[in-house]
Amino acid sequence: MADDTPSNGINRRKFLTVLGVAGGGTAALSGCSTDRVQKLVPYLVQSEDQVPGIPTVYASTCTECAAGCGLHVRTREGRAIKLEGNPAHPINAGTLCARGQAGLQGLYNPGRLSGPMARGADGSWQELTWEDAIARLAERVGGGAGRLAVISGAGEGTFADLLAEWTAALGGRLVRYEPFDHEPLRAANRQVFGLDQLPSHDFARARHIVSFGADFLETWLAPVEQQRGFAAAHGYRDGEMAKHVYVGPRMSLTGMNADEWHASAPGTEAVVALAMAHVILAERSGAPSDANALRGVLAPYTPEMAAGECGLSADAIRLLAREFASARPSLAVTGGVAMQHRGAVEACAAVNILNYVAGNVGETVRFGSRLPAADGYGALDGLIATMAAGEVGVVLVHEANPLYAVPKARGLADAFAKVPFKVSTASVLDETAAACDLVLPNHHALERWDDRRIRAGVVGLMQPVMEPVMGSMPTGDVLLKTAQKIGGVMARFAAPTFEAHLKAAWAELARQRSASAPVFWMEALQRGGLYEAPPAPPGVRLAAGAERVGYTGPDLDGEGALVFLAYPTSMLFDGRGANRPWLLENPDPVTKITWQSWVELHPDTAKDLDVREGEIVRLVSPHGTLEAPAYLYAGVRTGVVAAPLGYGHTEYGQYAKGRGANALDLLDGGAGRAFLPYLSTRVRLERTRGYQKVAKTEGNPRQLGRHIAEAMSLPLARQGLDPRQAHYAETGGTPHEINTERELEAIAGFAAAQQAATKLGNYAGEHPRWGMVIDLARCTGCSSCVTACYAENNIPTVGEDEVLRGREMSWLRIERYFEGGEEPGEPLEARFVPMLCQHCGNAPCEPVCPVYAAYHTPDGLNAQVYNRCVGTRYCSNNCPYKVRYFNWHAYNKTAFPEPLHLQLNPDVTVRARGVMEKCTFCVQRIRGAQHQARLEDRPLADGDVVTACAQACPSGAIVFGDLNDPASRARAAAADHRGYHALEDLNVRPVITYLAKVQHRTEA
Amino acid sequence: MTAPKIPGVLAAFAHIDAATDAIKALRAQGHRDLTVYSAAPNHELDEALAHPVSPVRLFTLLGGLTGCASGFAMTIWMSRDWPVLVGGKPIAAVPPYVVIAFELTILLGALSTVAGLVLLSLLKPTGRLLYDAKFSDDHVGIFVPCAPEQAQRVVELFRKAGSVEVHHAPA
Amino acid sequence: MATMAHEQHPALTHGEVTRDVVATLGPPSRGYVLMLGGAVALFLVGVITFVALLKEGLGLAGYQPPVMWSVYITTFVFWVGIGHAGTLISAILFLFRSPWRTAVYRATEAMTVFAIMTAGLFPIIHIGRQWVFYWLLPYPNQRYLWPNFKSPLLWDVFAIGTYLTVSTTFLVVGLVPDIAAVRDKVSGWRKKLYAACSLGWTGSDTQWRHYTRAYLYLAALATPLVLSVHSVVSWDFAMSIIPGWHGTIFAPYFVAGAIYSGIGMVFTLLIPLRKLLKLEHLITEYHFDNLGKLTLLTGSILFYAYAMEYFVAWYSGNTYEQTTFYLRAFGPMWWAGWTMIICNAFVSQLLWFRKIRTNLTALFIISIFINIGMWFERYVIIVSSLSNDFTPYAWDQLNPTWADWGILAGSFGWFAMYFLLFAKTFPVVAIQEIKEMIPMPRKRKGAHG
Repeated sequence: MADDTPSNGINRRKFLTVLGVAGGGTAALSGCSTDRVQKLVPYLVQSEDQVPGIPTVYASTCTECAAGCGLHVRTREGRAIKLEGNPAHPINAGTLCARGQAGLQGLYNPGRLSGPMARGADGSWQELTWEDAIARLAERVGGGAGRLAVISGAGEGTFADLLAEWTAALGGRLVRYEPFDHEPLRAANRQVFGLDQLPSHDFARARHIVSFGADFLETWLAPVEQQRGFAAAHGYRDGEMAKHVYVGPRMSLTGMNADEWHASAPGTEAVVALAMAHVILAERSGAPSDANALRGVLAPYTPEMAAGECGLSADAIRLLAREFASARPSLAVTGGVAMQHRGAVEACAAVNILNYVAGNVGETVRFGSRLPAADGYGALDGLIATMAAGEVGVVLVHEANPLYAVPKARGLADAFAKVPFKVSTASVLDETAAACDLVLPNHHALERWDDRRIRAGVVGLMQPVMEPVMGSMPTGDVLLKTAQKIGGVMARFAAPTFEAHLKAAWAELARQRSASAPVFWMEALQRGGLYEAPPAPPGVRLAAGAERVGYTGPDLDGEGALVFLAYPTSMLFDGRGANRPWLLENPDPVTKITWQSWVELHPDTAKDLDVREGEIVRLVSPHGTLEAPAYLYAGVRTGVVAAPLGYGHTEYGQYAKGRGANALDLLDGGAGRAFLPYLSTRVRLERTRGYQKVAKTEGNPRQLGRHIAEAMSLPLARQGLDPRQAHYAETGGTPHEINTERELEAIAGFAAAQQAATKLGNYAGEHPRWGMVIDLARCTGCSSCVTACYAENNIPTVGEDEVLRGREMSWLRIERYFEGGEEPGEPLEARFVPMLCQHCGNAPCEPVCPVYAAYHTPDGLNAQVYNRCVGTRYCSNNCPYKVRYFNWHAYNKTAFPEPLHLQLNPDVTVRARGVMEKCTFCVQRIRGAQHQARLEDRPLADGDVVTACAQACPSGAIVFGDLNDPASRARAAAADHRGYHALEDLNVRPVITYLAKVQHRTEA
Repeated sequence: MTAPKIPGVLAAFAHIDAATDAIKALRAQGHRDLTVYSAAPNHELDEALAHPVSPVRLFTLLGGLTGCASGFAMTIWMSRDWPVLVGGKPIAAVPPYVVIAFELTILLGALSTVAGLVLLSLLKPTGRLLYDAKFSDDHVGIFVPCAPEQAQRVVELFRKAGSVEVHHAPA
Repeated sequence: MATMAHEQHPALTHGEVTRDVVATLGPPSRGYVLMLGGAVALFLVGVITFVALLKEGLGLAGYQPPVMWSVYITTFVFWVGIGHAGTLISAILFLFRSPWRTAVYRATEAMTVFAIMTAGLFPIIHIGRQWVFYWLLPYPNQRYLWPNFKSPLLWDVFAIGTYLTVSTTFLVVGLVPDIAAVRDKVSGWRKKLYAACSLGWTGSDTQWRHYTRAYLYLAALATPLVLSVHSVVSWDFAMSIIPGWHGTIFAPYFVAGAIYSGIGMVFTLLIPLRKLLKLEHLITEYHFDNLGKLTLLTGSILFYAYAMEYFVAWYSGNTYEQTTFYLRAFGPMWWAGWTMIICNAFVSQLLWFRKIRTNLTALFIISIFINIGMWFERYVIIVSSLSNDFTPYAWDQLNPTWADWGILAGSFGWFAMYFLLFAKTFPVVAIQEIKEMIPMPRKRKGAHG
């Protein structure tokens, strides 16, 4: 079936237009033929950094959130095909989250604009030339004597400086706005420590971590860095692991990774923190001397008082406080978006006090390194007022989408409409751009020169890794060209291009370090930027404001019965992920829902309201309504209803537009506030007649005592028990062996004889045995590995309808099982198991295939020959782990609309319709490493082969290697006493060893 | 059908005992190569004719054995010719191949039985003998090949036995 | 023997038998034409659906992983099962010299052949790349790729292939003398046609001598074959490790079920057919009574098998088995589970009563229950076991679509079409075997039994 071949639809000319930095060769070739050919074409003019078949890696910086992780962009034949972490980078050290990897789909997004556009008189879009577009901009901003407003995204850097100067020179007003800017955190630091900064946290050193609704594994500050630290602290090693307690109304992914979850009433974190500080001050000395001044302030906040407010027991608070104080150093964090209520500042202040009292400030809480990212919501709010007053003549929006991110209740749309001339640099037509008069699509971060100051001493560089996909232009160039066109005062922006401007700025950096500019630049470019040690943190003392800490409660509006909790998901973040199929199909780690928005209800709440899962419910707040299917989740406090942010786009490309409902519609606009309160309203829940099957990838959330996701308590782990022994040690039973000694001998003997009988032909001699070890004590379920797998192995996204039929293709999925939480008072516990092909030694899928499409390679891989597969699907039926995926339709044709097909990895087949596919242990990487070793005439070394999932995992939970190599890390890890195989009793001999999760259990 | 008919006498009987009488009488007179037509197998005719048991069973036996042997041979040879390891099982695993061998035993056994039936029937073709449509309905027919001069005696014998009608060839 | 024969056919001479049977081949009645038209229409529905599958992919059907096999394989097993009753009656009862089979065996043998022809389509329809189905055959190719004989699917290929060939041969061999009989009754082009089909059969003593032996051996070969075929089909499931499939009881359980379902189909076909072709005096209560007893026997075996499945699941202490069978009875597919138990285990017990065994209306209704019940048995075994096996996270429920039902309908049309055409073209009652049971007249009374 030629029409099913993967290469179909890759237009040669299209391919060549993006053909790498080898522009000359491109130009020379692209004219000589007009027909579509179905093969890749070698260069006529070979460029030294492009070897066909060999990936070229460029260092860059991730722009998907403010954290600024370092990237390695893997390119092949001039196309970026995968984003990976930069091992040298201080923040992510070679790992990357799902959002960061999905940046590639921002580059190749089908929604990207082909060039500058302007609204015509009839309101329709007209394509422009860049000259024309820049002339129009220059005319407006130059002529318009001030009254210019610029809304830009967060991020310090050369471009940000240029934009600021440019705006100032034009007498304009610049507002840098980031939806999740953590203003309350900064305000609280101002108040308590007199520092207008965001702190950085050393999770790795903390022995006891308490999070008051701060989702530091998903969306809070720098998730990848924090996850690395958390894994280091909370992962079990040599009998030690930190304890993690989560206090908040909803068990988020971070909460799921906690040893204890305290479902406090919404907006009562402050009182818990103050009560803990109270206990600590009362019970132990050793708190900083000046903390004693707080005794008076804290006096009223006894555990009993707090218990009345937050719904926790006084004893629990006391116990928590003691544990927190006795573990040194400990760490308390708060300020997550989900708990950002009107009293958020005092909550953050209270937690600051707690950290200070426990002596963590300067230890695990450091200041001085993080740079202020943006101006905060207050500034934007002010600008909205002036726009509404009609005092803005021109507004330029850059890397921001306020019309989506600001609740409708604020009336931004009307205010924005009042501005006569509106310009956007969005490369995809988002809500804001759609409301503009002129759109000047910016280059994607992987197409342009740029840099970003991430924190003191760390500056990330970005460089073009390939020819632009679309007819966009770097906004830096636009600013300069515009300035030059305007002339006059603007003439001082003389740099011909932003690239030149940037290099000049870096020459200055070199000068400061008295280094040779070219060398300094080249090294920085290769490294990915400038990574210097952060300056010594300043000594931090309590400021006068510390006396003003207190608790006044969340102050919610609306009179509905339920408190509405809007939270950002780890996939869509503030909504910018909503046009990335990878992120839409990668299930939300908590609910396992894809492609849809939902409303979370506690089962008891649902029972009271007589609501069933999938029933479409309407939430009504004073500010608006929201309709979405109900999802019953025991991890959300009764009386609270939660909904994810980031859905309900009205523009922003084919994938995002009209998908789900926007939780912001329920919120008050926060007019006149310094920050946007996300937890601010009560809602009324109305039942509709409607029903919508929830597109979740989970079947049954309980593992029914089948030993798939094992866990043991810390004391048992310290005794060195294996999961089975630990199980019986806890349940008090004894192992039940149905076979007698002699029977077991016979079985073993038969197995051995059978194995011997297989050592024939190709299978004679010594081979590696590829294996994997997954440490469940480190895995947080973040699902970064899932996106890595999609990217590496060209896995198609199948879309909502097919997911509803359970046909998602994720070779690697994160199974999330719940334990407990069924009887009232019983703690709810979540376990994550990355489930992928176990490459069984006695694979049940292999012998049932009538055509040998599924077979075992001599090096122990369970291989699937796509070309041989006829699609009987018997193998999938017989797979106990259900990790085989079938191409029910020609997904290879529907999943990669141009230019998304450019993301495909040329090393991996794109599977045609009607064949089975599954995890290959990244066999292309294995063979690649083996070839490399052969070229270098050396044996394959441990660590030469890293699977995509292992590479991406920020927790370092996955180890891959040769189990026959006595020196390999994998073999050592597999020998751990916590090691077990999923469904071990089936005797299919999986090659993947899981290491049981270890938990601090409250009692015992 | 164009082939000239073999000279002889054909008689039709409505009664089975009449037919058997005729057969016995003819055999007593030394007529060996009789051809007896009937609409269904009839054990009284068999007794009268006293044929030995049909050798068709030899075909069945040989076919079956061939099938069994080829079944094992094919599966084992093909497995070794393309040695692929599946499910940790031996390359050539005999137990599952028993099924294939069994099916082929049945298949070839049946086909060669039919082949035997056809071949053996062709040894004594009836194309050039006199035939009457009644025989496939409710009459028994007996044909005796004989020279015209002997015909009269045979006809007499048939009449005595009680045939309902008699034909001559050539008429 | 003879007395038995008289019991069946009071006052019928060889001549009358020939006359009556040949009469069935006369011009078709209006009812017949309508039924044939309906069958062809259904068949076209199937054709259209299959073209859509080829074009769009199996995704059109309601497959819901982990349920990777559903309606198509269910229907495949259903049709294979139908076939078994035919061979049982024509071959096994022949060896047992059971007198009542003669009148019905031709129809049932034809049913067998057409049922297998139908079943044989499904392995092709249900695979992902239908255009390379021949890769399942061990044909020589320049890359020296051979199929995997360890796979039960390969056993299927051989079992079904052999079964189709052998039962076709058996049917044709049985037909030849009867075609000759027809040849000698008709005239014109039909005479030419039947003359050609009769392969020069004259009923000479030589032909009969080899024929009777050959027929005996064919029956002797078909007997173990029919037992093996459904055992092999059952091993498609039993050889896997899926709870609910992985049962040692499966082979006998499936064979009994196959015969049970087959006789059900025999009732469904014969009861209207004998009216349509006016064969009331050839196929009589006596036959249905005996068929009814056979149904009762096999139905009771099924009853036992069902009970055993649940008992073993409970007694094994195997949590996977226990969950599967608990959900089979009380899970999302409880309705299907109970349909199968009621239609097969319970309804069959009605046949203890002779009144019911000899009441054709009752039998016809029961036969419909049997067909439904046996289709659901396979549906339940396949779908409910796959829906919830080892990995709870992956569990899901099946939702069949029009593409599933389209193929199912098409298969019935395809089968009915062939059966009706056969019934009008060839004798559906074995002329020569009935004659064999009716003694010829004799001159002298008394002599010979």
